[in-house]
Amino acid sequence: MLKYVLKRLLYMIPILLGVTLITFLLFNVVGGDPALQAAGRYATPEQVQLVKAELGLDRGLPAQYLFFVKQIVSFDFGRSWSTKQTISKMIMDGVGASLSLTIPAFFLTVFLSISIALLIAYFRGTFVDRAIFVICLAAISLSSLVYILYMQYYFSFQLGLFPISGWSPDWLERWEYLTLPIFIFVSISLGGSVIFYRTIFMDEIFQDYVRTARAKGLSHTAVLFKHILRNALIPIITIVVIEMPALILGSLLLESYFGIPGLGGMIFQALQSADFPVIKAMTFISAFLYMIFQLISDVLYVVVDPKVQLK
Amino acid sequence: MKGVKNNSIWLDAFFKLKKNKLAFTCLIIIIFYFAAGLLCALGVLFPHYALTNNDRSYLPPSPEDWFGTDIFGRDVLARSFHGIKISLTVGLAGTGLSVVIGSIFGAIAGYFGKVTDDLIVWLYTTLDTIPYILLLAGMSFVLGGGLGTLCFAIGITSWVNLCRLIRAEFMKHREKEYVHAATAIGSSHFRKIFVHIFPNVFHIIIINFSLGFIGAIKSEVILSYLGLGVEPGTPSWGLMITDARLELSRGVWWGLAAASALMFILVLAFNLFTDALREALDPKLRGKL
Amino acid sequence: MKRVFCSSNLKVGFAGAFFLSIALSLISCTSKKNNLANELRIASANLKGLDPVATGDETSSNVIALLYDTLFQYQYLKRPLTIEPNLADGMPQVSKDGLVHTIKIKKGIFFSDDASFSGGKGRELVSQDFVYSWKRLCDPRLASEGFWLFDGKVEGLDDWRKAVQKDGKNFDAPVPGFQTPDSSTIVIKLSRPFYQLHNILAMVYTAPVPKEAVDKYGKEMVNHAVGTGPFRLESWTRNSQISLVKNPHYHGVYPSVGDTGDAEKGRLAMAGQKIPFVDRLIFYEIVEDQPIWLKFLKGDTDITAIPKDNFDAAIKNKDVAPDLAAKGVKLDRAPGYDLTYTSFNMLDPLFKNNVNLRYAVAQAQDTKTTIEKFQNGRGIEAQSIIPPELESYDPNFKNARLEFKVEKAKEYLAIAGYPGGKGLPELEYMVTNSSTARQGAELFQTDLGRLGIKVKISAVSWPQFLERLRDRKFQVTGAAWVADYPDAENFLALLYSKNASPGPNNSNFSNPEFDKLFEQAARTPPGPARNALYQKMRDISAEQLPIIPSTHREGYSLYHGWVTNYKANSVIVDRFKYVQIDVPKRTQLKEKL
Repeated sequence: MLKYVLKRLLYMIPILLGVTLITFLLFNVVGGDPALQAAGRYATPEQVQLVKAELGLDRGLPAQYLFFVKQIVSFDFGRSWSTKQTISKMIMDGVGASLSLTIPAFFLTVFLSISIALLIAYFRGTFVDRAIFVICLAAISLSSLVYILYMQYYFSFQLGLFPISGWSPDWLERWEYLTLPIFIFVSISLGGSVIFYRTIFMDEIFQDYVRTARAKGLSHTAVLFKHILRNALIPIITIVVIEMPALILGSLLLESYFGIPGLGGMIFQALQSADFPVIKAMTFISAFLYMIFQLISDVLYVVVDPKVQLK
Repeated sequence: MKGVKNNSIWLDAFFKLKKNKLAFTCLIIIIFYFAAGLLCALGVLFPHYALTNNDRSYLPPSPEDWFGTDIFGRDVLARSFHGIKISLTVGLAGTGLSVVIGSIFGAIAGYFGKVTDDLIVWLYTTLDTIPYILLLAGMSFVLGGGLGTLCFAIGITSWVNLCRLIRAEFMKHREKEYVHAATAIGSSHFRKIFVHIFPNVFHIIIINFSLGFIGAIKSEVILSYLGLGVEPGTPSWGLMITDARLELSRGVWWGLAAASALMFILVLAFNLFTDALREALDPKLRGKL
Repeated sequence: MKRVFCSSNLKVGFAGAFFLSIALSLISCTSKKNNLANELRIASANLKGLDPVATGDETSSNVIALLYDTLFQYQYLKRPLTIEPNLADGMPQVSKDGLVHTIKIKKGIFFSDDASFSGGKGRELVSQDFVYSWKRLCDPRLASEGFWLFDGKVEGLDDWRKAVQKDGKNFDAPVPGFQTPDSSTIVIKLSRPFYQLHNILAMVYTAPVPKEAVDKYGKEMVNHAVGTGPFRLESWTRNSQISLVKNPHYHGVYPSVGDTGDAEKGRLAMAGQKIPFVDRLIFYEIVEDQPIWLKFLKGDTDITAIPKDNFDAAIKNKDVAPDLAAKGVKLDRAPGYDLTYTSFNMLDPLFKNNVNLRYAVAQAQDTKTTIEKFQNGRGIEAQSIIPPELESYDPNFKNARLEFKVEKAKEYLAIAGYPGGKGLPELEYMVTNSSTARQGAELFQTDLGRLGIKVKISAVSWPQFLERLRDRKFQVTGAAWVADYPDAENFLALLYSKNASPGPNNSNFSNPEFDKLFEQAARTPPGPARNALYQKMRDISAEQLPIIPSTHREGYSLYHGWVTNYKANSVIVDRFKYVQIDVPKRTQLKEKL
């Protein structure tokens, strides 16, 4: 087990190098001269030269690449070109806000969609199954902008149930602002999620052990809860773990509309102002987290299901 | 033997699909969209979509203009229909590119194995680790806006899933009897990959294409919101929805409604059809594709 | 057995209801608490930072201006804008040749308390603070966007900059043009006459920043505010909100002199009283128009600009719409001191020597539609580069070449050598990538389409836009210029050849006669003689049309009935320090919203 984890950790190195290489190629080589953008408006050629020296851009490409890798290793991504803030601080500031939106929303979605998927599995093949399935597909076919625009207008403004937008640094007070965005997040992602878990349950239902259990005279519901849910828990847990790192990216649209100071909004602004260091940093961090969580997921898989052998 | 197997898959699928009324309706809707898109491109349908009339701006829906007019007095319905043309172009070109890259890389990696395989696996694992939205937005940003770059960015960022599946299939198939037989009669690698094995994995590509199509259409909308969409003045759904989100507050709901309704129907039809297609061709692919 | 299943689903229902009820109870108590505070709340775009030197965008300046203070300011109520002392003790003494300005500063003004001072107590402001801050503004290592204010105008500044660029230690060397004979006197020695000096000393770039704070925080000054302004920084949650509290020791008082109508609007009731009146000022950072507008309608913000697409609902016949007026909402209209224009790249061979082509484009432009569609009718068709409200503006000046006449445009196009647009390559019109800018470009496309000219729109991000302007890689673009100070020189500078890109002369227009007049005007003190020079330059630009003046916009802002003393002006950036809130009235009026 330990050997496997170590091997996987070692394999992360070439992948992470690949990630840095791609972001470097994209933003330092293809994306034009970054110093011109960093120097700002009305910058004279001398000022551009100075900025180049400061950002380490006056050296050759290999040296620049090493500089970038060095930044990553020391978790010091320099300063944003647009806000002049240190990027590590911008990320640390935003991560809490993003997570307090996405974590509750994500787990609520998982909980609700598993419940609904079980319900469909119970009624599989019937009209209920078909209807819910079509509704779910319809829900994911609608643009998420439509959800946000109408729900903010209707629930916050017309009915006055929630504040229109806003934020509180206080953990307890921020829930009043987060309720509606969480609700919208769940509405947007529920459809796809239900379809996904339905598939997992359906896979289990057609397994041999289910037939055996039914043959032994266990009731339909008992089989569903005792056997299928328990067995399906393995793929569910691993999937949930894999999806978790994406939560730090927050939600670009929801954050912009509800004034949540998270990383989604930060990325959005960075994209609009060509703030490459911020984008590079975020790309790397989320890739790194993704790999770590994937490893955790694989290890969990073994822990939950001893039948699985690690290679 | 190969031929027999293939025929049965496709024939079987055809009969299953024919029985599924919902899927059949969806197919007809999709065909209707393609026809409409083609007719718009040829200038037969709604040739007046770019016609401006500043005295008629923001007219609400009426028997004359079913979906009202936009800021320059242009017919919103006409523009939404021309949006089909853009969406289908993005879907076809973007997904087409992604399918070509994904299946060729997957085939090469799975067939040759060894260092080739390691390299390609490394490449797609790396791409897969980067969140899709960041990769796509970063790519489009660096390449600059426009229809061509949009399709290119979508194509080059969305091939990983297909590549992985095709690779796995090729690894299975290259050890099969019929491939060994082909080697025995001196077939080239190229022939074995494209003539012998490919037809057996083609259904995966078809399903992936259909799914990618939906993704591409939705990506266009997100990229437009980020300001990375097609050329301004082009009637694309992404641009229409992005612009209409502001107009909504002046009570002009029809711009948003028309574009999102047309998009909704197409995406829903595609979703339902893809599901039926997968069910008919290879139910085991559920959850993987 | 089926019952088991149902109950598990009921739990979901209960959980949801529980969740919702907690949320609702939380809301009701916080909103009650907020109603009683003497707070001013305003929606703002995203704030970048708080360093007067490092941050130059409009949004950040609006906040920085309330935390820091400048030597001079404009009288809040009087129009046309008149400069008055702020931190300065009286207006400066100017030598006869106009080159030496001696400025006394007020005594007894203290910086806000900060850990960077010994003992944490803010120390008294001295003249050296100004010189230190101006050197910082000019420091080549900081590359401040505000450096142009002093560029080429102060004695010995260029040599000092060169020395600093070579070695940062030279920063402490004196700049001959900035002198401090004692701790309450500043002497500025100019290398050439510069009659806008007092105007630029009213801009936030030149606000005093204490050396102690810069030494302690360095580049982190973007997150600290150690100033002498009417407010102090309480907290800032980036991308969410910034909260400022009243500086109880602020030296400023409410003006006693008003303009026509100010007394009737109750704007003089507080004359002579100490400002600021509100205890706290909160800026909500909001990106999207929908929440900005809905928040104002709910009374969660007190003053707002009107998003373009909410205009029809908000304004009827140039006044507040009846339903809003019934709720106590009021309107303030203010000239924008600005110019929107179409700019040719005069280095492009197509336009360079073909004035008739420029005329053709000018006469093809349907400016009336631009005003209607994009400015909601709140603007006038520009006749020249000089906006109204400035001294040298001539209301009788009309430029026939800016009239929208398609036939005339076609004639010019034929004279230019492209009858019916034949032989003319497709033009590229560059815009930034926002919905409004894109739609504006579409209008340009339609306008020129009438002449048979094909236009390709390329929409780029703001940084790419700036980059292409700087590299002179564009053909035609739309732009806007908002006055930094009320002087036509600020607009005419857009065509001075030495300001060519990367300076603000993005059309790269170069005309020796214009340059000569511009330099002559710089040496001429304000008055009729200078105005005559300005008008001569205006005539050259009207004849040559390197840029096509399009509109002068008017600013509309709405405020609720509980807000008093509000008078909008784009040049007065610290205007919120004068505003007053009637708390009981807010509680009463908010119930109707």
